[in-house]
Amino acid sequence: MASAEKTVEEVRIRDVDLEAVLDPAEADGVYRDSRECAALAVVSGGGSALLSPPTPRPKKG
Amino acid sequence: MKQSGTSALLQGAVQDLASGVASALRGGGHPSREPLDAPLRPTGDLDLAAARVLGADLLLPGVLDHTPPPGARELDLARRAFDAYPPPATAAPTVAWSHWALGRALHRVTGPSGTAPAPGRVPEPGPEPDASWLTGAPWPSLTHHLAVLAPLALPVEDCALTRVARGRTLDVARGFVRAVRRRDWYQAAGAGRWLTVLPDVPHTLGLPGGLDFVELMGGGDSRVLLQVRAARLIGSGVTV
Repeated sequence: MASAEKTVEEVRIRDVDLEAVLDPAEADGVYRDSRECAALAVVSGGGSALLSPPTPRPKKG
Repeated sequence: MKQSGTSALLQGAVQDLASGVASALRGGGHPSREPLDAPLRPTGDLDLAAARVLGADLLLPGVLDHTPPPGARELDLARRAFDAYPPPATAAPTVAWSHWALGRALHRVTGPSGTAPAPGRVPEPGPEPDASWLTGAPWPSLTHHLAVLAPLALPVEDCALTRVARGRTLDVARGFVRAVRRRDWYQAAGAGRWLTVLPDVPHTLGLPGGLDFVELMGGGDSRVLLQVRAARLIGSGVTV
């Protein structure tokens, strides 16, 4: 049974567009919340560029 | 649904390979823990495709000094993936460069001065792909593509792509910060690795702390963990 499943997997993998996997589009951004900002402050020790104000989000409307 | 299910299988296989490499970079032995002369277990299309996706980093432990050489399985997978997935003439530049990087790593590791010299044919990476497409790329796009090609971020690596990157340290630094803010941990880890081989990285960037944060937030992804560990090793002065 395991062998049959493996065969199915190998046939299906040929359907993958490997070029798209090797040349991916940039992932959508997800911005931090204040809890994570605090974690960053702890990790980086303060004063680094990573702690500068977050990029403004586009306003709705 | 079929495509997404298959992609998930492939991503899972890539994660498995990356996890082994990340472990080896931390001193956990060569990725598959199989001796070079051990009989190879059969590999299928899924393994080969995963090896092609992970690319040259599959052999990273054998490329960097003071890390264990790659196992027999990794060498076999890398060789076969290199042969099985040549970039078509119309391939995107990142596809061509990642294939070239895999050939370069194979040549380094299995060539006469490599950590796992192999008798017989040693794959030749071939001529370098063109890198001019990246020269004028906006910094977010530059960072995205360099992160995809992070396996080329190695000490003393000298190719057209690394020469472009060396001239744009500040852009990569900006891209690293942007990736952290966007929580794109894979891009942040790849950009961070590049910054360990680029000149004149501003100290105000806080790269070591940034890498710690990327590992904290994104280290559950083996590909992120691999890049962070590679960055730390290279940043500590490990050479090829």
